[in-house]
Amino acid sequence: MTLEVQNLHVRTEEREILHGVDLVVKKGETHALMGPNGSGKSTLANTLMGNPSYEVTEGRILLNGEDLTESDPDERARAGLFMAFQYPATIPGVSVANFMRMAVNAKREEPIKVKEFGALLKENMDLLKISRDFTSRYLNEGFSGGEKKRAEILQLAMLQPEFAVLDETDSGLDIDALRIVSEGVNAMRGEDRGFLIITHYTRILSYVRPDFVHILLDGRIVREGGSELADELEAKGYEFVREAVAANGA
Amino acid sequence: MAPSFVEDRRHAALEVFESQEVPTWRRSGFWTTSLRGLDLDSLEPKRYDSLDSVLVREHLGDEEHAALIVQQGANIVHCDVTDERVIVMPLEEAVEKHADLVEEYFARRLPYDEGKFPAGTAAFWTGGVFVYVPDNVQIERPIQAVWLIEEPGTVQWAHSLVVVGEQSEVKIREYFLAPDFEGQALHSGAFELYARPGAQVHLAHYQDWGSGEVHDLSVRRVEVQRDAHVKWVPIHLGGHLTKQTLDIITAEPGSDMRHTGMYFTERDEHLDLFTTDRHEAGHTTGDTVWKGALTGESRASYEGLIHIIPKATEVDTYLQTHSMLLSPKAKGDAIPSLIVEVDNVKASHGGTVGELDPEQIFYMMTRGISRAEAVRVLVEGYFEEVVMRLDDPGLEELVRRRISEKLAGAEDQVREFIGERAEAG
Repeated sequence: MTLEVQNLHVRTEEREILHGVDLVVKKGETHALMGPNGSGKSTLANTLMGNPSYEVTEGRILLNGEDLTESDPDERARAGLFMAFQYPATIPGVSVANFMRMAVNAKREEPIKVKEFGALLKENMDLLKISRDFTSRYLNEGFSGGEKKRAEILQLAMLQPEFAVLDETDSGLDIDALRIVSEGVNAMRGEDRGFLIITHYTRILSYVRPDFVHILLDGRIVREGGSELADELEAKGYEFVREAVAANGA
Repeated sequence: MAPSFVEDRRHAALEVFESQEVPTWRRSGFWTTSLRGLDLDSLEPKRYDSLDSVLVREHLGDEEHAALIVQQGANIVHCDVTDERVIVMPLEEAVEKHADLVEEYFARRLPYDEGKFPAGTAAFWTGGVFVYVPDNVQIERPIQAVWLIEEPGTVQWAHSLVVVGEQSEVKIREYFLAPDFEGQALHSGAFELYARPGAQVHLAHYQDWGSGEVHDLSVRRVEVQRDAHVKWVPIHLGGHLTKQTLDIITAEPGSDMRHTGMYFTERDEHLDLFTTDRHEAGHTTGDTVWKGALTGESRASYEGLIHIIPKATEVDTYLQTHSMLLSPKAKGDAIPSLIVEVDNVKASHGGTVGELDPEQIFYMMTRGISRAEAVRVLVEGYFEEVVMRLDDPGLEELVRRRISEKLAGAEDQVREFIGERAEAG
């Protein structure tokens, strides 16, 4: 059971951003994709989910062998993919609870029973230390940065996807919030789930230790390794990687 | 024979009506409201013996009313008053039976010479609705009026006069309904409501003229007297061509109003609304919110004016309007404006015309929600702010249901629009 990216080339209207990315995430594994601003991290995350603003010009995205490259975002979600957004959209007029119920029901044949849903929501809100009045607020409307990120992880916990992409979930979180979110993620790690954690910083990786680290630079994965690679990056910075790549390439 | 205050006004108005051409309203930009397509001479005031309408049953369900009065075409076909404390009867009858009461208020805010159609309404009105709520009564169930056009070829000259006594609390609703038919009709309406000192009034106008060529040219004015409070909710869910002037006047100190409107246009409907939040006294407050959505090749223009006259100091009022385009061929305007003739007031306004945000749709779809469902939820969510302000469960349910139905009907064009936008950007 894998999420597989093969030779992925992606462009926006202006230019090509990803120039052939290969990546395999197996269930039970946690991968970190690291890179500086503008390296194409968010492009990869959005392309995995089928954001129509990005065009795949070459390559494929496979989930458990099924080609999802041309699938609509809702089909990918129902197939088991999830993304926690860096900048989640505001949905006015729709409460957190109603949105969650809609999302949970989208994957089910029969709608979830009110009681069962309530219990599930409460359990996960407790896990993420989210206060009760949160659920009646309109999704992301007037939320602080930290509240938005928690709402994303709450959805992750509610939807229990096979593969989850976390797009810079750590940015904008203070240390307490980061710890709570990380604990939430750790609680969901397991044999039946794969994670791709996209981040600029190494901070979250000291709470959620990755099995594999990939470094994305200018739309290409330039270094791969175990969690020690994150430590090296922490010590030496992206410039070091950039110079090393330049030296090799020359 | 009606009393002279009615007959004299009819004669004076007739002169105005006959001396004026059918108007065309133009504003800068693309906006023109023209009655060129209306064949006025082919229309006639049709009379009916009794009420037999599926539409009325559909819209009222089994709700209980303090009073129910229905005008079909040119005459009142049903009038049933279950709460004996109020007077509800055809205006034609009231000008005779309650001449003194009617004369005190009749047309106080409705000059007969403000245009051809207001003059026509003043000259030709028949049937009509009179509602009088005495002082110090609280009525829970709504007083319901229905204006019905059952067949093409109908002209309906309408006049409603509502007086709510001091310290009384009441809900008033007027529905404007027609079945889907082929052909033309005209509703030319006048509405006036006087909320006496300390009154609490909940007023709703619900319009769904169906898919026939029903033209609606109406003027509605609400006067809020000392320390009275009026919540006014106009809802436009259908009409081939609608040109309306909706004014709410906080006339005496302490008067307060909350004006919440919404519209949903489709096909080639044309909606032209001008509302005024007029403050004639100091220490008055207002709050106006309008939201609309457009599909098909429809046109909708909302212009909202805050007008604060000299001497009206210490006014605090607010107006915002939003319009959402759901089709590439629809055109909308949302124009807030302000005339403030005095210092020391608080008045703010804002207006937007927007489209569905593809990022919102993408976000929802990543949660497994289909595109059609995402659009439905986003549009309903957009309207939810105003639907909640209706504060009338029966009406809220009706509005939610009708918007949901209209969205289902527009699904294909919305999808195409979203698709196009996403490809483009």
